[in-house]
Amino acid sequence: MSRFFTTGSDSESESSLSGEELVTKPVGGNYGKQPLLLSEDEEDTKRVVRSAKDKRFEELTNLIRTIRNAMKIRDVTKCLEEFELLGKAYGKAKSIVDKEGVPRFYIRILADLEDYLNELWEDKEGKKKMNKNNAKALSTLRQKIRKYNRDFESHITNYKQNPEQSADEDAEKNEEDSEGSSDEDEDEDGVSAAAFLKKKSEAPSGESRKFLKKMEDDEEDSEDSEDDEDWDTGSTSSDSDSEEEEGKQTVLASRFLKKAPTTEEDKKAAEKKREDKAKKKHDRKSKRLDEEEEDNEGGEWERVRGGVPLVKEKPKMFAKGTEITHAVVIKKLNEILQARGKKGTDRAAQIELLQLLVQIASENNLGEGVIVKIKFNIIASLYDYNPNLATYMKPEMWQKCLDCINELMDILFANPNIFVGENILEESENLHNADQPLRVRGCILTLVERMDEEFTKIMQNTDPHSQEYVEHLKDEAQVCAIIERVQRYLEEKGTTEEICRVYLRRILHTYYKFDYKAHQRQLTPPEGSSKSEQDQAENEGEDSAVLMERLCKYIYAKDRTDRIRTCAILCHIYHHALHSRWYQARDLMLMSHLQDNIQHADPPVQILYNRTMVQLGICAFRQGLTKDAHNALLDIQSSGRAKELLGQGLLLRSLQERNQEQEKVERRRQVPFHLHINLELLECVYLVSAMLLEIPYMAAHESDARRRMISKQFHHQLRVGERQPLLGPPESMREHVVAASKAMKMGDWKTCHSFIINEKMNGKVWDLFPEADKVRTMLVRKIQEESLRTYLFTYSSVYDSISMETLSDMFELDLPTVHSIISKMIINEELMASLDQPTQTVVMHRTEPTAQQNLALQLAEKLGSLVENNERVFDHKQGTYGGYFRGQLFCPSALPGFWSPSCLFTVIHVLLPSPLPYRPEGRLPQERGLHASGRVPPAAVSDSLLMASLLCLWPRPFSL
Amino acid sequence: THFAHAQRFPGGSMASRKEGAGSAATSSSSTTGPAGKGKGKGGSGDSAVKQVQIDGLVVLKIIKHYQEEGQGTEVVQGVLLGLVVEDRLEITNCFPFPQHTEDDADFDEVQYQMEMMRSLRHVNIDHLHVGWYQSTYYGSFVTRALLDSQFSYQHAIEESVVLIYDPIKTAQGSLSLKAYRLTPKLMEVCKEKDFSPEALKKGNITFEHMFEEVPIVIKNSHLINVLMWELEKKSAVADKHELLSLASSNHLGKNLQLLMDRVDEMSQDIVKYNTYMRNTSKQQQQKHQYQQRRQQENMQRQSRGEPPLPEEDLSKLFKPPQPPARMDSLLIAGQINTYCQNIKEFTAQNLGKLFMAQALQEYNN
Repeated sequence: MSRFFTTGSDSESESSLSGEELVTKPVGGNYGKQPLLLSEDEEDTKRVVRSAKDKRFEELTNLIRTIRNAMKIRDVTKCLEEFELLGKAYGKAKSIVDKEGVPRFYIRILADLEDYLNELWEDKEGKKKMNKNNAKALSTLRQKIRKYNRDFESHITNYKQNPEQSADEDAEKNEEDSEGSSDEDEDEDGVSAAAFLKKKSEAPSGESRKFLKKMEDDEEDSEDSEDDEDWDTGSTSSDSDSEEEEGKQTVLASRFLKKAPTTEEDKKAAEKKREDKAKKKHDRKSKRLDEEEEDNEGGEWERVRGGVPLVKEKPKMFAKGTEITHAVVIKKLNEILQARGKKGTDRAAQIELLQLLVQIASENNLGEGVIVKIKFNIIASLYDYNPNLATYMKPEMWQKCLDCINELMDILFANPNIFVGENILEESENLHNADQPLRVRGCILTLVERMDEEFTKIMQNTDPHSQEYVEHLKDEAQVCAIIERVQRYLEEKGTTEEICRVYLRRILHTYYKFDYKAHQRQLTPPEGSSKSEQDQAENEGEDSAVLMERLCKYIYAKDRTDRIRTCAILCHIYHHALHSRWYQARDLMLMSHLQDNIQHADPPVQILYNRTMVQLGICAFRQGLTKDAHNALLDIQSSGRAKELLGQGLLLRSLQERNQEQEKVERRRQVPFHLHINLELLECVYLVSAMLLEIPYMAAHESDARRRMISKQFHHQLRVGERQPLLGPPESMREHVVAASKAMKMGDWKTCHSFIINEKMNGKVWDLFPEADKVRTMLVRKIQEESLRTYLFTYSSVYDSISMETLSDMFELDLPTVHSIISKMIINEELMASLDQPTQTVVMHRTEPTAQQNLALQLAEKLGSLVENNERVFDHKQGTYGGYFRGQLFCPSALPGFWSPSCLFTVIHVLLPSPLPYRPEGRLPQERGLHASGRVPPAAVSDSLLMASLLCLWPRPFSL
Repeated sequence: THFAHAQRFPGGSMASRKEGAGSAATSSSSTTGPAGKGKGKGGSGDSAVKQVQIDGLVVLKIIKHYQEEGQGTEVVQGVLLGLVVEDRLEITNCFPFPQHTEDDADFDEVQYQMEMMRSLRHVNIDHLHVGWYQSTYYGSFVTRALLDSQFSYQHAIEESVVLIYDPIKTAQGSLSLKAYRLTPKLMEVCKEKDFSPEALKKGNITFEHMFEEVPIVIKNSHLINVLMWELEKKSAVADKHELLSLASSNHLGKNLQLLMDRVDEMSQDIVKYNTYMRNTSKQQQQKHQYQQRRQQENMQRQSRGEPPLPEEDLSKLFKPPQPPARMDSLLIAGQINTYCQNIKEFTAQNLGKLFMAQALQEYNN
């Protein structure tokens, strides 16, 4: 098959055909690049030679040819593909068609294709043997073409009636097609088969006959072999080959269909036609040759082709012998740069050209100025390489970029007399006059900033769990080094604004890194023995804290754009928080008043702000300031979108809320993985601080109807835990916290401790802290304290008094601590008790209402509002003056079920006096439920009395 | 076995005294409201049935049904079988309804009932449908669902009653089983299906005139009674201590909570009604103004000799607001009443117990 194709396109005899192909080729992408690279070439002028009509028709004929080829080899799938393309191409050519009328060859292929398909369709045997794809394509194509041909019905019938004529008409336009189709025309009548057979008998007819017989058994095989045969026999011209192919196929079909009448007359007629055709062909051929010549005269198509792969060859920069001077190089540079940004510019080639130019410049000693200038442009071109903002640099490009910047910095450092700057105009540049200081337009800072952004982009686009990420991350050191160099450079030469900018870059690369060296140094106080080591460590670099301090202070003082200062402050706070300097961090946060106006900042700054707040919260937690930790983390955690707010990933659910564009923008905002804050750690810190706050609070306000929850998130987790039908040992971090909370609720600090601090939790959370042990110790103490408080809240009602020593034993806290905690509770009026100093006991006052009393109070309140509402209805009936003291008269039977308000009021008055006058004596928890055997708890008496009093006065239903 | 015990010895012990309120043989003391005020009026006089006699078997079956299937707030239901003899409704058997689950949504209850009854008939059991039973959670049973189904029962079978079984009270040692039916007044209203304030006013329905309780007698065979006697003698004193438990807070608290919930609902209902009233009167005003304007204009026209404006349908212009159905508030009121009864009963008993315990303590000291 492939052989068939190659002969088709390469054959010498059809040179015009290949000529056509050549014409179409240069229209593609390569062509556009031509002029910029070889501007001296004069061939541009000769480019446009062909009319639109020719072009379109050629496209059509090319497609038609492929279809025919596919038809011959029975590749229906290919036919289908090409047919679709043909339809499209025809659509494009519509305007021309409208002008010129439908081209005959087009109609022909449509008619032929339909017939061909019908034949195939009816050939049941053959269809069975067809492979699946083909069979499918066949049915699809058949339907398609039927539908499609409906539009051309009149043309087709016209054509079918008079196929020969139409072939003649079109002959001049398209030789190849007319040949093929005229063959097919004959087939249609059923004549061609015979005619062909006869013709064949001149050459390998016997063989083919044999084949035909065989074909009935094994169609496809025989076809292939037949092909081979054909190539052997009729290789003189590809035309005839294809002809034969087609003919044979139709023969095949007709044989199968058994409707090939082979009368003598028909044969003769067919032969005549063939003769005619041969003659025509000859004419055409000669004509073609003429055309070809014309073409050659018109435009040298071959040459164009030769010029295409220019990039591969070493492009000639300058004509040989040209003296390389500044002017020439700069002219060349400008020439190259002019193509920048234009459509169709080969950016890779451009970069290469520029690099070549640098080489030439340095070879010819044109001075640093020129080189710097070109380097600037190379880097810019490297950045330009990706037209899409979202895509990131390829590693080799990136490496090139880094090298280039480094080289540039080398030059700049080596030649202090070079001035670079954005504000230097092209005209005032001084690139070669060595007497004056060199002036080059360009901004090294911008380049470095861009580089940094590219680095971020690379990190964003790399899978953070791959080795690749680690490799990329190694470049961070290089990036930092470059920034540092630029910083040094600008500190000498730059303006304050520039210094601020580069400082911010530096800060952004510093703030999130934990300074282990400084940390170590703090841990080991300066002693004689370790002094040398310490000195060494100090020599290696200044503390990041000091560095941050210096950079940030400069920015605070000098910066005039708000954004840089805001970022610097946030980073500074973050850095403080990271290194557990809580008070500095907090003060800075409060002094900056960032919380008030951060919502006006742009999203990346807001993300930074969120990160800072989270870090602040975690820092507070490490210091044991649970309340501060909770407050700092509350906003982030309560939204449930911590991941999104920290820029550490997009949420899936909001996919429908944002469109493609927004998603891209958000993707660009993501923080690279190495800056991430562990979300589980964050949540755990939040939940644990919420637990330490909420559990005692819950215990204290057990029966308060208006109790509000401190942390919704925490309550949610508790509820989730309660809903679990089966409670196994906790698995996840959340389950651990929930289990711990339950233990704490009972005042069981040991269980709570074991849930919060254990192997699993250490691995998941606590070990992530730099000073894990310290945090754990703090946590244990907190748990003990809060458990003690919870215990007192929950069980104070069952104690008359309790010894502090017992408490201290129970919670393993020392006596003074217990004393202080209880004192604090008493002062805050959380615990109604007093301390008995000599016996070291807490004496409960027992003034808290019991659960029932609380309920009764609530009920009274509710009844109050009910009465109020009821009164309003009453007012309505009576007019505005209605007083409820006449209530006995009221109670319209229309409002059944309402009680006399006065009655209700009495109830409320009975209930309301507070504090309640009951002073029940103590009960111990063990006694609950076992009163019958022991003392009668007066509390119960009072409850019942209360209820009785309530009920004696309980609304009597009254009627009219 | 307390129930049988209690039934046979009214006033015999603490437990049965309390029981007497609920189900003791002839009394009707646990009717709604004080002194059967409502009762006398609506009264069971209209109905042929003045008493419900339940076989011990039925009681046991109901209790068993709840113990096996019901839990927490879930209720169990079943069908009562029996027949009317003179002015007594004798309930001699029952069978449970299966619990509804999501899976068998297309379960045909009627089919099930018919089949059960047919099968029972084959084994010579009373197969006449005389009502249904339902368990309750802390006495909360006055609901719309109960009203509707009892209405349909009573509509079809006049003498049918609903037995309300309170498992929690029973667990505390006193059987709580009550028979209710709808008063004829409520039946009228339900038949009309009009629960607007006016209709209820006309029907003269208040919450205490909704359900009437029918006294219950539990009947056992003599043999069983004898057996009970024997068992009574044998049972240890400790078995009865349960009745003397003073741990009341849980029960009381629960009741209060439920009561509070209902009060909240009632409050909302009143607010709703209030809004309705306001809207109505506002519209009345508007309507009035409109009519006045119209009249004035017509007068002017008349004076000018023009024909008066055509009459317009005022009710179209001013659509009266939809009056809220009052049935719910009635039911809530009824429910609140039940809770109050419960609490009252409960605290009364508890007070007694407490004083007794106190006296005991003093004596011991």
